[in-house]
Amino acid sequence: MTTPVLEIRNLHARIDEREILKGVNLIIPPGEVHAIMGRNGSGKSTLSYVLAGKEDYEITEGEILLNGENILEMEPDERAAAGLFLAFQYPIEIPGVATMTFLKAALNAQRKARGEAELTTPDFMRAVKEAGTQLNIDNDMLKRPLNVGFSGGEKKRAEIMQMALLKPSLAVLDETDSGLDIDALQVVSKGVNALRDGQRSMLVITHYQRLLNHIVPDVVHVFSDGRIVESGDKDLALKLEAQGYASYGGEAA
Amino acid sequence: MRANFPVRLGPAEDALIAQLKAAGADATAERITVAGLPTRRVESYHYTDLKTLLRAIPPLATAANEASAPALRIPGAFNLMIANGVIQNAATAPAGVIVGKAHGGVLTTRDDVLVHINGALAKEALTLTLENSVDPVIQVERRIEGEAAHVADALKVFVADNASATIVETFSGSDAAHVGNHATYLSVGKNAVATHITIDLSARAVSHFATNEYQLADGAKLRTLVIHAGAGLARTHVFPRMAGAEAHADLTGLNLVSDGQHADITMETLHAVPHTSSQPLFKSIVRGRAKAVVQGKLVVARDAQKTDAKFMHQGLMLSDEAEILSKPELEIYADDVVCGHGSTCGMIDEDSLFYLMSRGIPKAEAETMLVRGFIAELFDSIEDEELNEALQGIVDGWLMGRQ
Repeated sequence: MTTPVLEIRNLHARIDEREILKGVNLIIPPGEVHAIMGRNGSGKSTLSYVLAGKEDYEITEGEILLNGENILEMEPDERAAAGLFLAFQYPIEIPGVATMTFLKAALNAQRKARGEAELTTPDFMRAVKEAGTQLNIDNDMLKRPLNVGFSGGEKKRAEIMQMALLKPSLAVLDETDSGLDIDALQVVSKGVNALRDGQRSMLVITHYQRLLNHIVPDVVHVFSDGRIVESGDKDLALKLEAQGYASYGGEAA
Repeated sequence: MRANFPVRLGPAEDALIAQLKAAGADATAERITVAGLPTRRVESYHYTDLKTLLRAIPPLATAANEASAPALRIPGAFNLMIANGVIQNAATAPAGVIVGKAHGGVLTTRDDVLVHINGALAKEALTLTLENSVDPVIQVERRIEGEAAHVADALKVFVADNASATIVETFSGSDAAHVGNHATYLSVGKNAVATHITIDLSARAVSHFATNEYQLADGAKLRTLVIHAGAGLARTHVFPRMAGAEAHADLTGLNLVSDGQHADITMETLHAVPHTSSQPLFKSIVRGRAKAVVQGKLVVARDAQKTDAKFMHQGLMLSDEAEILSKPELEIYADDVVCGHGSTCGMIDEDSLFYLMSRGIPKAEAETMLVRGFIAELFDSIEDEELNEALQGIVDGWLMGRQ
């Protein structure tokens, strides 16, 4: 059996004294796109932060294996170099740091961590241009400080562009559809679909079924009260859209 | 009250008084004899208690025999040097630059002990008259070389009407417990454009004091930048006088302060006539147990209507023991003005750090990026690329020296 790109075993996590994740189990084989759907407050975003290594959470039990390697002891930058990418629901604005400078630092830091040579400036510029064109990101946008003054759509497009450049083995998309109009949603989805290559796996966290019309998942999981309560194919998303989350219990947020 | 309770003078004050008397500056000597060096009870020295911080005054400097390497190289700059208070011979000046010498101090008298001492002890002043726009950066290197020495030196610059120039001053020298008291007077003519950057790169053992006085005529545009990145104790005065209608000044500064250091930028801007504006923006970055001070006073004269001025100080603390002190003051005698002040202080933003790290950037590098980003707007408007790079280099050097 091939090693799954992501395997989560009985993951429990809490913030302060409150337990948010209560035994998450999930396996994503290479090349598959899994969606996690759930109501607000069910712990979906916490799962994405815990995967990426945000400090605020305490892991009390369980394991996260990325390509067979336990990443729980790794810093966020080490997880990124190991192939994990989180597209943020709310990308952070960083004044004074030009987007281009940031992209180069990120790309070269990951290459360095993997023992690869730094990209030459022409190679880097070529890669950026290639990734940017598809997402309607021009040079002017890249000269601006990272995410500062970007519209909601620009921020999300910039996230997907980073993903295209960094070529992760697992991409976690946290509510990538939030704040997007239909046109922006199409551009972003097209960008994401272009990165589906039969090897790269994705975990798409969303609130609405709408996004899954554009990024069609192989498996849909329903998340409720800190764990996965049901899994199925893409039709499960349609069922949820029609019936809501009420039948899964827990309290509405 | 003072007559009844004479202040107890320390060795620094005794040495200073002797030096002042020997120079014939009896009035300044008398003033220090009566009041001593200013303590925190003197409002303008509240956060920089000179009596406590300045324990010794070394002997007055003798001529320098040797020179250490330049502290900052700006490719293509026209270089001038004052070493141990003595003006050195310069290379041929670019067109439109007249280099000269004058006797004595250059500052307008005001109620400040450092200004008085400079006026009493500076023997000669380097004068620069800029008759038209000067392309190369003019760099004035001020050095204190050899054994620990007390130095007072002075520079006077006239930027003629409609001219433009960039003047960079660097302060450096040997690694000894020098006390430097430096003065610069810069007059910006009608519709002239001047950039004045002063960078302290002295050794840790040095106490660095500098007073920058500015006079702006009608339509003059001034950009200033003070960088403290060297001396253990540093205080720079920024004293602009907005004396012509439509004059504008961008007054900026950066305290880079490490463990055991104390750096103070004290600004007092006088808006003397109607329709002038100033934008003071200062930043302090402190690591270890160290202190940064920024005092910013905006004074608006009685008839200086339509003054537009906003003071801002932003602090970034890289350690729990860091102290950043901010004192904005407004003294407004006109009634139709827009004046304000703001001050912020914080540590590195955790969410920003996590975001950068989540893209594979290691923590130390991510922190460096955020610090650079914090400073960036101070350098953005420095268009000369070589100069901009040299300034970045100072910040990078400071960051790499981190514990």
